[in-house]
Amino acid sequence: MSVPEAKVSSVAERWDRERVLALASDAPSQRTAQSLASGRAWTAAGAAAEADAVWGECRGSASAPYRAVVDLTGPAYRCSCPSRKFPCKHVLALLLLWSEGSVPDDAAGPPDWAGSWLMARAVARGVRGDGSPRSRGVPGGRPPGSAQSAARRAEQRETRVASGLAELDRWLCDQARQGLAASQQAGYAHWDDIAARMVDAQAPGVAERLRALASVPHSGPGWDGRLLEEYALLHLLAVAYRRQAELPGPLRETVRSRIGFSLRQADVLASGQPVRDHWQVLARRDLEQDRIRARRTWLRGRKTGLDALLLSFAAAGQALDDSLTVGTDADADLVFYPGAAALRAAVLARHGGGTVLPDGGPPDGGPPEGGTIAGLLAGYAAALAADPWLDSWLAVVEVIPARAPVPAVCDVDGGSLPLHPGAGHCWPLFALSGGGPVTLAGEWTPRGLWPLTAWDETGRAVPL
Amino acid sequence: MSTWQDLVTASLIGTERAEVPAATVPGLPVRTEAVSDDPAVLLLDRAALLTVARRGGTLIRPAGSGFQAEPLPAAEPDQASAVSPAAGRRLGRMLGGEHPDLLAEWLTAVVARDRRIPAHLLPALLDRARRVSPSDPELRRLAAEAGGSRARWLARLNQDWAFVTAHTEAGEDAWRLGGKSQRRAYLATLRARDPAAARELITESWAAAGPERVMFLSVLASQGLSLADEPLLEAALDERDAEVRGWAAHLLARLPGSALGRRMASRALGCVRIDAGVLSEHVVTSPPVQWDNAMRRDGVSPRGGGDLRQLDDRTHLLHEVLARTPLRTWTDEFGRTAEQILAVSSGAWAPVLFTGWSRAAMAQRDQDWMTALINWALAGGPTGTLFGAETLRQLARRADPARCTRETTATRAAEIPPPVRDAISVLRFRYDMLKELEL
Repeated sequence: MSVPEAKVSSVAERWDRERVLALASDAPSQRTAQSLASGRAWTAAGAAAEADAVWGECRGSASAPYRAVVDLTGPAYRCSCPSRKFPCKHVLALLLLWSEGSVPDDAAGPPDWAGSWLMARAVARGVRGDGSPRSRGVPGGRPPGSAQSAARRAEQRETRVASGLAELDRWLCDQARQGLAASQQAGYAHWDDIAARMVDAQAPGVAERLRALASVPHSGPGWDGRLLEEYALLHLLAVAYRRQAELPGPLRETVRSRIGFSLRQADVLASGQPVRDHWQVLARRDLEQDRIRARRTWLRGRKTGLDALLLSFAAAGQALDDSLTVGTDADADLVFYPGAAALRAAVLARHGGGTVLPDGGPPDGGPPEGGTIAGLLAGYAAALAADPWLDSWLAVVEVIPARAPVPAVCDVDGGSLPLHPGAGHCWPLFALSGGGPVTLAGEWTPRGLWPLTAWDETGRAVPL
Repeated sequence: MSTWQDLVTASLIGTERAEVPAATVPGLPVRTEAVSDDPAVLLLDRAALLTVARRGGTLIRPAGSGFQAEPLPAAEPDQASAVSPAAGRRLGRMLGGEHPDLLAEWLTAVVARDRRIPAHLLPALLDRARRVSPSDPELRRLAAEAGGSRARWLARLNQDWAFVTAHTEAGEDAWRLGGKSQRRAYLATLRARDPAAARELITESWAAAGPERVMFLSVLASQGLSLADEPLLEAALDERDAEVRGWAAHLLARLPGSALGRRMASRALGCVRIDAGVLSEHVVTSPPVQWDNAMRRDGVSPRGGGDLRQLDDRTHLLHEVLARTPLRTWTDEFGRTAEQILAVSSGAWAPVLFTGWSRAAMAQRDQDWMTALINWALAGGPTGTLFGAETLRQLARRADPARCTRETTATRAAEIPPPVRDAISVLRFRYDMLKELEL
């Protein structure tokens, strides 16, 4: 009797570990998932090629095993465990096992408990017409309605924003009149209330800035100055909107985008002038806010020398865009969003696929050319002159790390910059440098440099 | 910039009670016309102007004024060649929580090959070594050694990692004056460099050592154990302290040529033999029926009070004897290889033989037996018991992965018992891990 050989590669492209771990909602989830992914706890696990699904039973503390199933097309997950994390550790562990090839294909298909859920999803997908989950903030169909009603809606929004910002300015003046000293006793509600009113006024960019302020009074010495800075910049934004007719076009675009009038990426791509270059992918930073994860990817063109910032978003539990790897080059057409300091961009097209090189040598082109600290600050000052609200700027510098008086970096000209207090000890950066010069890419912010990528002695990029 | 501080002070008090100070930015014309007569608006206007001016300008200061950081002294260069990028990534995975128990093996292999660890991973490695039980300093020693000069450089910057230099700098003062962990570090370093000198030092210090004797034995256990240590260990079997006796018996059992090994062999031979049988040959097992003080001296204790009426209690005794018997006893006695011996049917006794022989193989670091036992288990051998599953778990972490089967014949996931699946995953991981270090 012949036994059919276990197929390995027939399941749709297997994800790598990083992609799986990126789904985790936090670091503890990643750790517990990795310890669960030993195979010991899993009594039955299988994958189906046709259904693009993985399932398994995991012995937990309960008497019945937990049943986890993943629809890889979503991805969507379900698990019978009571965890409130999403995806839970069982789902993550199952995907890790699958990614390392430890989940065999099961020609018999999923067991009933997994099959029924997968079937229900397939049916729902059929109704919606395509397999993609509802996307957020990426090009989609225009909302129904005539051009006329769109114009009316736009007008309504302008009115709302105008009255909202007028209210904000009154609020800011009230703070200045009464004094900021009371802010340390104020709770989150103090800022959340005004932020909520900005959401109602359809000025989400302003609302986000306001929400972030709640932590400033407890951010250590100098908090009063930082709070005043933010209030002053919000005031400047409100004034700028009120007087937008007097502003030059690009600055007006900047003001509107800071307030939260977002342009649709499809419109930007369709109307802007593409810039083709070999873009070095220099740094990446992931942030999470209100269950939305944002990824900021910093690029620098080898020929044009232009800096570009790509933003991508994902709901918690969804994987972020992973198409650009730090330390590689991408030959691509970028289109910049309109604005006074053109920084944000979107990828229109890539040429010749990725340029990720196999192990052995440094990626093509090697590390970027690190500049001086004075050069970085001069560039930032020039950009600030165009966009006074700019608070993160690509830094690519050749520096020697220092620890005193605070974690910092110095350069050969004697310039030095503090590292951002939120970046912690940055031990990997120090270890990599060994006290010698190192090429470093990061975000320069008013509070300090946030280190993101360094290049080791072989020219390989090391995310920090 | 004092104007800014004045503005901040005014904003704290509030414009109801405070005067709004004037704001000037060097190089900018002073604005005279009042934009608003509301002092709050004036304050915010001026603050906005100064905020942007400060962000754009103040940090570019002439050297010697304002924020100035001191560069660090450079680390001495490390001559060792770096591990492959794949090996570096795997270290990152292990530090991230994947098979953390294999870290010691990875580090041992790195030290043996004299390779250099990616510097940016050293902080996470040193943190791990610091956190993992201070009572088992082996990982610390390995991390310190594998980390090379860069780890010593880092240790000078962060007190948490002081153990790195404690190991490399443990001088004779540490031995004479230091606390227990420093004395251990000194002894371990000496043992690594000169096993005989460490043994002499232990022998000299033995009488006065008291409770430190257990520490001495654990250092002997960690590296360089050889038959030259036998007289010291044999004498320790007669100590009063049960923990010292246990360690000594445990270490002697790891030395197949020891007198203890020969005593165990004579006990074990009576218990296991191969019977030709009528239809097919099989292993006949008969557990010991008596227990004496000589056995206790060699570290074999019965369960309960030494009452051997229950078969379970005799089985336990057999298991303890098997675990300490030199494995050559069996290959010599039966004239077969480990694989051939395991191929003979042993019926209901298979789980006992499996765990007993596995413990012996792991203690004696006998790769032939470990390979044979693992292959036996992966081919559906006796791992059904809880004990067997744990034994397989340990075997998979110690056997040479290149020699073991790393496949399973089952095609349906549900048919593979979880302990077997785990063992295969560990063997594959270790195989790849050691392979990458050859690159």
